[in-house]
Amino acid sequence: MNIVVLIKEVPDMTKVKFDRERGVVDRAGAPAEINPFDENAIQAALNLKKTKENVTITVVTMGPLRAEKSLRMAYAKGVDKMVLVSDRAFGGSDTFATARVLAAALKNIENIDLIICGEKSVDGDTAQVGAEVAEFLNIPHSYYVDKIDFNDPLDGEVIIEIEHISGNRQERKMKTPCLVSVSKNIAKPQLPTLKRKLESLDKEISVFTIKDIKGLNKENTGFNGSPTKVSKIVVPGEIVRESIIYRDDVNDFLDKVEEVLASKGVL
Amino acid sequence: MNKQNYDVLQKIVGDDYFIAGKENLVPYLYDQVEYTFRPEADETSIVVKPGNVEELSQIMKYANEENLPVVVRGGATGLCGGCTPIEESIIISMERFNRIVEIDTQNMVAELEAGVTLMQLLEELDNYNGISFPVHPGDEGAQMGGMAATNAGGARAVRHGVMRKHILGMEVVLPTGEILKLGGKLTKNNAGYNLTQLIIGSEGTLAIVTKILLKLYPEENYTASLVVPFPKFENATNAVIEIINSGISPLAVEYMDKFLWKESAKSLGMHWQAEEGEADLLIMLSEKTEEALIKSCKEIYQICKKHNSLEILYAEKKQEQLELLQVRGEQYNFKKKWIYDSFDMAVPVSHIADFIKEIKLVSKEYDAPSSFLAHIADGNVHNDMWLVNGKPPVYAQELKNKMYEICFKYNGTITGEHGIGKIRIKDLLLMKSKKEIELYRGIKKVFDPNNILNPGTVLE
Amino acid sequence: MLEKKAPNGVLVICEQSNDGIHRVAYELLHKGKEIAQSLNEPLECIVLGYKIQALSELSHRCADNIFVMDAKCFDKPEEVLYKKNLVKFIEDRRPNIILIGATEFGRSLAPRVACALKTGLTADCTDLIINDEKDFIQVRPAFSDNILAHIKTVTYPKICTVRYKEFDEADIDIEHKCKITNIEPYFTQVDHTTVSNIFKFNDKAISEADVIVAVGRGLRDKEDLNMFGVLADLLGGMVGASRAIVDAGLVPSSMQIGYSGNRVKPRIYIACGISGAPQHVAGMKESDIIIAINRDPSAPIFNIADYGFVGDFYEIIPMLIQRLRKRGF
Repeated sequence: MNIVVLIKEVPDMTKVKFDRERGVVDRAGAPAEINPFDENAIQAALNLKKTKENVTITVVTMGPLRAEKSLRMAYAKGVDKMVLVSDRAFGGSDTFATARVLAAALKNIENIDLIICGEKSVDGDTAQVGAEVAEFLNIPHSYYVDKIDFNDPLDGEVIIEIEHISGNRQERKMKTPCLVSVSKNIAKPQLPTLKRKLESLDKEISVFTIKDIKGLNKENTGFNGSPTKVSKIVVPGEIVRESIIYRDDVNDFLDKVEEVLASKGVL
Repeated sequence: MNKQNYDVLQKIVGDDYFIAGKENLVPYLYDQVEYTFRPEADETSIVVKPGNVEELSQIMKYANEENLPVVVRGGATGLCGGCTPIEESIIISMERFNRIVEIDTQNMVAELEAGVTLMQLLEELDNYNGISFPVHPGDEGAQMGGMAATNAGGARAVRHGVMRKHILGMEVVLPTGEILKLGGKLTKNNAGYNLTQLIIGSEGTLAIVTKILLKLYPEENYTASLVVPFPKFENATNAVIEIINSGISPLAVEYMDKFLWKESAKSLGMHWQAEEGEADLLIMLSEKTEEALIKSCKEIYQICKKHNSLEILYAEKKQEQLELLQVRGEQYNFKKKWIYDSFDMAVPVSHIADFIKEIKLVSKEYDAPSSFLAHIADGNVHNDMWLVNGKPPVYAQELKNKMYEICFKYNGTITGEHGIGKIRIKDLLLMKSKKEIELYRGIKKVFDPNNILNPGTVLE
Repeated sequence: MLEKKAPNGVLVICEQSNDGIHRVAYELLHKGKEIAQSLNEPLECIVLGYKIQALSELSHRCADNIFVMDAKCFDKPEEVLYKKNLVKFIEDRRPNIILIGATEFGRSLAPRVACALKTGLTADCTDLIINDEKDFIQVRPAFSDNILAHIKTVTYPKICTVRYKEFDEADIDIEHKCKITNIEPYFTQVDHTTVSNIFKFNDKAISEADVIVAVGRGLRDKEDLNMFGVLADLLGGMVGASRAIVDAGLVPSSMQIGYSGNRVKPRIYIACGISGAPQHVAGMKESDIIIAINRDPSAPIFNIADYGFVGDFYEIIPMLIQRLRKRGF
């Protein structure tokens, strides 16, 4: 079973600063790390490798060259191979263009059975790339998956469970190759060993640039290939609380509470 | 206290900042000492929340004239009953002294009011790229005034020392009401006795801290935490001594009994990944560059291997490191229902293996169930004596004295960081000469002639 | 057969489940109407499902046209089958703008549809604006809700998913008439996925609750927690707790909110008998609205509350419950 895990390198959100006056996001002081949701995807793949035979995991990311750091961290955790999809031309890609690049790059990897990705990224928050990659590859997908299993890789089928879809829990059998986007609950990320972390520092990484990937050009990738454009960034102000404190007038207070509950769509 | 006392105090702080009545007092009486051996609070006390140093000065003048006991309350994260009023007292809650007056990036000094919490300070420093404050006693609800008055320590003392090392000056209100400004933003200052250092660690008995000048440091951005399991406790302590002596300066090295790591993780819904071995260390590293971090990791890896370490785990993400600390913190929740008494002894690092071994042996003599954790690289051990069938063990006093004897044999102290407070006053007499105690009393008398400030703390 | 035409109209894709049409559709119709009017275009909607129940309600909600695909094959939602049918419909109908609710299924389906149509998609919008130049501006939070990005789509159709409970529902107007067109599904099966089992989903964590009623040291007895359970149920929320009562063993630590517990961000946070220690505040200060009840007027919780009452929650909470019940809850 050949598993690909798609990951993204993101800034540590607790260290990102937001400049309200200039409408700018400042990532300078924020160290880069594997998108937290992707940690669960990696672990889901590692858990399959732990329990089944002949599982090979390749971790793939698209990003600048420095994103190799996240690939190495995934290696430290136990994946087998690392692929970095990187080209200046890919800069400014929206989710559609990103999915186009990733899907095309995945065609360079042979015999993929299962693609796993995290629920969403903490910087983009879109949760779109997974399903768009599946569409580009013309394979089925499922979202919010919290259980993945298969009997025999030769069955050409995985059995998954979806945590929540239209008010229900669902079980699906999906023909491989297929893509699943996993929920945080699928697997608790484990720590790598120090030994493997130190080994990861000089492991080889496959780098795919635009020249190495069929079907890509400067017009259909990056900013040019993106149908959505950000026209403005607004950083909302700090929450300012009115702090209206009632003392003896219980009914006025309760009137206010009801009004607020109604305005927030709770009633 | 009488109605007139109430009226005067109420007038000073305003109606909203005066609290009386047993039921309203509950949140203001205790700190984090276990129920089983905390001092009993006097519920007829009252709470005032002064808004500035002038109000506080007026309160002290009045209390001194009327001979009313005063207890100062900060974040109440202490572990020796320091802020518990044991007789009818005025409880001064410092929460309104919550302004960050200045972050001076030139001198790298923060001027902070006493009620500023550690959390508030760290959040503020987040706005300045690359500035930090390293002392961390564990609970970020701790207030600056309290951290100064108790000379707070914590796990990171290995690299950064304790609070005393970082305070350059302070503003205090004396028990007699005068306001004093001590020290300054000075690296060198040899003018007169250093009263700042005397008040640090005096546990709210000499003066009320209202402001501090705190040294700040460049942030070390590259951090990692290692979980290092060893087959035997001796392997772990030998490795620690070699690490420290090799020149690597970890932020913290924490030891905890294996079952505590496992059970604490379980109660947080996690799984303790280090399955094997009998003694696990948590080593926290912090460096200015990635290269330096990797270098430290490699050296530690070699040293630990030499001492038979098992598979070492590596945490680099902030979240992963935070979770390890959470497990470390959760041990208390896990075991608190069994604790009768908690200790805070410290010995020179070189003796820590023998010290813990002997404490375990003597506990065994009494068949006494216990648990151990230690800031192992600074020699500070927290072991517990557990309840027996839900009751204080009959051997409690005897065993405690035997443990202290072992501690003194290794030239240790009965409290490394928690302080004497109201629960270790008698114990203090065991390790101090009559003359030293006499000097304490003299100093106390000079500051607080009527003994109104936190009576029954440190000294009887 | 539908005619081919230039991009025109706002299309709302409604989600159908066991409980009827997901209410986000009514909110989208309300917002969609505004957009359609300012562009002078029609508002239409389509619903796919099996034994669709709420059609008459839907028909009174202001859409000009409703299209319905009611067939057994839509009984259990599966993205590829829905996508194939929707794409065919959209290619025929050529809407200008498509709105989809950002439910779990909506989030999974929309990228599939948009990508098949080779057009852009904006996820999880919280506002939609037609500006003076008649551009369609999609406003969405990003960077874990820290910023709002304004996004334009340069291809057709312009598709977005929109968060639930961002807009009011379209009013029901009995007089409103609209045309309902039934369509036979274009595709009725996919061969790669079998949906073999459905059962009710798991309980959610407190960090996902929309409303949290939190209780602190003011709680006198474990039994008294019932009152909070009742209030939380009425508001569709959950009960939380401060560290003090977790430590006291009154509630499990899964309910703890704060620095060392759960960090939450509900629409409404009602703090009862919670003084507002920094440790607690760190876990809830980003709630949309904070309501505090405490007997101590100097409790720090009032400094971060939108609305507060100085008094005993043992008196206030039952009064609030009674009021809500009067409203027919």
